[in-house]
Amino acid sequence: MRTLSAVLLICASLDAAEALAAEPFVRITQPANGAQLDAMDQNRLVYEVDPGPRGDHVHVYVDDREVGILRQLKGSYTLETLAPGERRICIRVVNKAHTPIGVQDCVTARVE
Amino acid sequence: MNAENLAYTAVQVVHNFGAAAVVGGAVFARWPTAQDPVVQRWLAWLVLAGWVAQAASGSLFGAVSVHYYGQFPDIHGIAVAALGIKIAAAVVGVAVAAAFLRLSARWGDTARRRAWAALTGAGVVALTAAAFLRWFS
Repeated sequence: MRTLSAVLLICASLDAAEALAAEPFVRITQPANGAQLDAMDQNRLVYEVDPGPRGDHVHVYVDDREVGILRQLKGSYTLETLAPGERRICIRVVNKAHTPIGVQDCVTARVE
Repeated sequence: MNAENLAYTAVQVVHNFGAAAVVGGAVFARWPTAQDPVVQRWLAWLVLAGWVAQAASGSLFGAVSVHYYGQFPDIHGIAVAALGIKIAAAVVGVAVAAAFLRLSARWGDTARRRAWAALTGAGVVALTAAAFLRWFS
């Protein structure tokens, strides 16, 4: 009984520590929202992520189509050729099972 | 230790032991030496149970994601192909193990050997596909 109490106490402490951890976030710093991109250029996506205790890595999407997996928490990713038009670029934090945990940042860019 | 991680861990434990059973049971039936028919029958039960555990725990990974986040894992391309291969391997594994249990009393050694080879192959393919499913999405 004493062992069970100790285990429950440890679990509660870990949950509390998790709750106190910084809020997870994704920040796309480049391209800026509303930016104009050249379809012929290799456009770079610059980002910073804190996946939080539930997140593990991030997925990159262009118009809701997954185009890449990023495991670095800060860096850049070269976007493949973007088709002309308005493109919505998103980064979503996912857990180890690749399930989005609801933390994301998106920008819209005009590709010409 | 939150409940979500505990749920994924419990499912992973079942999945891992299922993987060990489907490959280990099939290999041990023929290697280092062919087991006698009674032991082969027990091993066929082990392998069948392993495939059922694989299928059930694989589904539960999705169920845990839906429970906590309202959606299935977000996988595409190579990962979807790997998942399809795993499902196909499980179907083959269950079918061959069940056939072995039902019919092997009438089979000769060649048929038994082929059945174990098919079960070993299905297990190896499933474990290989699992690695792609884990690291691609």
